[in-house]
Amino acid sequence: MANEDIDYEHIEYVDYKDTEFLEQFINNQGKILPRRVTDVPARVQRQVTTAIKRARHLALLPYVSESIR
Amino acid sequence: MASKKYQYELTYVISGVVQQNQVDDIVRKVNHLVENNGGDVLEVDEWGNQRLAYEIDRKRSGYYVNMYFKAPGTLIERLERELQINDDVLRYLTLRMDAKMKRHYKRRKEREAREEAEEEEGADEEASDADE
Repeated sequence: MANEDIDYEHIEYVDYKDTEFLEQFINNQGKILPRRVTDVPARVQRQVTTAIKRARHLALLPYVSESIR
Repeated sequence: MASKKYQYELTYVISGVVQQNQVDDIVRKVNHLVENNGGDVLEVDEWGNQRLAYEIDRKRSGYYVNMYFKAPGTLIERLERELQINDDVLRYLTLRMDAKMKRHYKRRKEREAREEAEEEEGADEEASDADE
């Protein structure tokens, strides 16, 4: 699923404030996608995971998406 | 007394039902707390009222404030306690910025400065177009 337009090797820091970017890594239930689906480097996946969890805490992203609650 | 200062990023969410003047009071209080305890506020960015991704204490919207500051580590405990006690503050997140985050922050600043310069340039061109 990795977006061909983005050079993931050169991502240094994944920002929890960039919800548009992080939304690519959650499914329609709001779950974090596994790396076998996202296909990004392990370093980036780890950062994405913490960033999503931070964003969830601040209610920038849902824990459980509205549609299935 | 001169303890080492670190750079921090703090984001907090004020309840959306709070009046604007009270919001300003909270923001001012937080900034003062940092400045009066040996900290330097670098930037305060108020994102304004936003819809929350989920309901918190029956509130559907929140006023987001994102700030950057330099301070000794002992301040954080006091600051977070202050935010924890305040019932109008729904959420907060303090992060100590490491080298990667600082570089990321610097790059974003540079990009913003560039965009601003370009915008001004665009405005100048428009002005000269109008002259013709």
